[in-house]
Amino acid sequence: MTTFPPDGYQRVASTLPGIEVYAPVAEATEAEAAVVQFKCPRCQATTAYSAEEGGLRCAHCGYYEPPSTPAVGKRAQEFEFTVETVSAAREAAGWGTERRTLRCQSCGSETSLPPGRLTSTCPFCGSNQVLQQDAPDDHLRPRFLIPFAIDADRCRAIAREWLGSSWMTPKSLKTAAGVTELTGVYVPYWTFDARTSASWRAQVGHQVTDRTYDSSSKTWKTRTRTVWRWESGHVARVFDDLLVPGSDKLSSHLLRKIQDYDTQALVPYAPSYLAGLLAQAYDVPLESAWAVAREQMRDRTREACHGQASTSQVRNFSMSLDFSDESWRYVVAPAYVAAYRYGGQSYQVMVNGQTGAIAGQRPVDWTKVWLAVAAMVAPGLLLGLLGVLAAVLGTVMPPSLAVGGGVLLVALVLVIIGGVFAVMTLNKARGMDDV
Amino acid sequence: MSENDGSLSEVRALEAIGVVCEQCDWRYFAPGDGTIPDVSPSSVCPHCGSARLIPLDRDAADHLYSAPPELVVPFGVSEAKLAQQIATFASGIPYAPPDLTATALRHRLQRLYLPMWLVDVDVTTQWGAEVGFNYEVVSHQERYADGAGWRTAEVRETRVRWEPRVGTLERHYDNTAAPALETQAALQRVLGSFDLAGAEPYRPESLGRVLIRIPDRPPQAAWPDAAAALQERAARECQIAAEADHIRSYRWSPAYTDPAWTLLLLPVLAAAYLDDDGAPQRVLIHGQTGQVYGARRGSMKRAQRVSLITGLIALAIFAIGLVLALLSLLLPPLLVVGIAIALAAIPVGIGAIFPIARVWSYNRKQADVRMEV
Repeated sequence: MTTFPPDGYQRVASTLPGIEVYAPVAEATEAEAAVVQFKCPRCQATTAYSAEEGGLRCAHCGYYEPPSTPAVGKRAQEFEFTVETVSAAREAAGWGTERRTLRCQSCGSETSLPPGRLTSTCPFCGSNQVLQQDAPDDHLRPRFLIPFAIDADRCRAIAREWLGSSWMTPKSLKTAAGVTELTGVYVPYWTFDARTSASWRAQVGHQVTDRTYDSSSKTWKTRTRTVWRWESGHVARVFDDLLVPGSDKLSSHLLRKIQDYDTQALVPYAPSYLAGLLAQAYDVPLESAWAVAREQMRDRTREACHGQASTSQVRNFSMSLDFSDESWRYVVAPAYVAAYRYGGQSYQVMVNGQTGAIAGQRPVDWTKVWLAVAAMVAPGLLLGLLGVLAAVLGTVMPPSLAVGGGVLLVALVLVIIGGVFAVMTLNKARGMDDV
Repeated sequence: MSENDGSLSEVRALEAIGVVCEQCDWRYFAPGDGTIPDVSPSSVCPHCGSARLIPLDRDAADHLYSAPPELVVPFGVSEAKLAQQIATFASGIPYAPPDLTATALRHRLQRLYLPMWLVDVDVTTQWGAEVGFNYEVVSHQERYADGAGWRTAEVRETRVRWEPRVGTLERHYDNTAAPALETQAALQRVLGSFDLAGAEPYRPESLGRVLIRIPDRPPQAAWPDAAAALQERAARECQIAAEADHIRSYRWSPAYTDPAWTLLLLPVLAAAYLDDDGAPQRVLIHGQTGQVYGARRGSMKRAQRVSLITGLIALAIFAIGLVLALLSLLLPPLLVVGIAIALAAIPVGIGAIFPIARVWSYNRKQADVRMEV
């Protein structure tokens, strides 16, 4: 020990006289301004986060400020479910629900922020502002985020392409539908890691075929029966970065469809990533999200247990499951929420701001769909009519009776096949505007 | 409470003379005026149990550390427990030597104090360690059964969070114990540890006329053990000072000042019995718990005697059978009886080996019991 105390240590309380104790200085928590504004240092115009370049860009003079925090990916700090954190999370259930008034430091105007919003653009002077909101537990602030990698223009192109990618949509949709609102928003997510260790026991059915001789009929008879045997096993699974949406304001159906985020791109939270974009605070509390994640984990573990059984016939299944090494993170991930109008109706689209995965509602041209359905079942019906005709003719010309029967049989097969495809098409069409 | 710096030619305050065993050269303080306790002057050495103790010559006596002890752990085992322990020790031995009886052992019981060094010292150091803090996490256990669905139980687990700490230490440590005998560790291994919390301040009259083993390990030699014990105490105190639940990887670079050495006396009882060869076999008893340690050896001579007698009986039976078989030349029916009797001699003859084999086997197991103390 050359220098004492070493750099980065500070004296802390000691309970015994004659003994001094020094502990590492707690990681400096930056004194955060309540509101961070983004002004170009060159021209004082408003800067905004550029998804294309990954830093702040001034649209006025072209000034560029690179990102301050490098990606940490899966090394991003995770938190355990300590008793204190769980209690704080319970108390924090209402966090973000209060409406906050943001005073613009540029023009002095006041804007009322809706619940859960962390960012704002001043409607009077266009300044981008990020609200550094307080949380009852420091852990319950977003510490990491996945930055936008797709800019609004590319997102718009993706949306256009997607709109015209289905034959079921109106022909004019691709050109006529203007994506009226394309909002980049950081959506809150909880990520969970855990190990599951399960022991299971069940009766597994095995098909056994017996061959017996029936003396009365003097024939051999085959009988298949199920023999149930007890089996047991052990399954261990590791879950890494299981994502659960932290927002109940956005469609969970759409969020699930686009949430293939790559957590390798996680960066430490910095307000500059939020400049000019919307960001939501979580409104699904940690405990509820963890319950959802646990449900998914245990169901997948149960499936793995079932997979260990020697056949798929299982009954009296029971299992016990222990969770260990549980940890969580609160992150925000990029998404574009778009709305467009077509035929007087409003439709929603959501695009993954990192990968470009898209999900949403599309209007359906039901004329096209019904025509397609008709085309699918028509051959069978027409053939059926021909078959009936031939059968009727069979009363006067007996050979045509047999022909009519054959045609009817083929028509029946075609109707069934056409009907299946028709139902699938209708379901798909119905799902296109489902949210 | 007088303490000194540990030099061996120190104080002559302990009222005792040094005595030495003629045979094993073990040295004792015999308290009082030089008479050997109990059966003076023909008392046996508690170590080898056979030879006489004689006063140390003047040269040797001059180099003894004879400051009075600071603390004494009193004898705590009751007479009843002692009798029971000795009876248990003396029982169950196949063909035990005639001298190995509970009565004889009790009669020869001799009290003895074994020394341990105590060091008082001031320590100044910088230290570093990892300290652990317990914290609780909320986890879950789930049970599933067809029909019953999932049942979830919330469980709390204690985990340890390790953090680095450094610091300074300036403390005085009293009575850190270190072995004063080379065989201290072996002694504690076979007899068990002593409860030092029961130690009482030394009073000359409290020792009576009990022999005290003279340290064969000077303070200088005992110092590494004392330093290790001091480090352990310091680590524990640093853990308390840091309000931590655990400590590990403790490192320090201590400076010791004013070390003062005194003695702590540990109570044991010694007895002995003579084995087949007339050699004394020692028995040691923990003075607090009554734990007995010693080799329990069967008498091979007795076993051989029994085997010989049994062998002779077998031979006699066989001879009778043989005679009857010969007589069958005159009286044929005797042939069968003669053969039966001769055959009966075989198991008896084989049984004659049993006492020797049993004692041999038993003594082999006892060979592991070595008197290292």
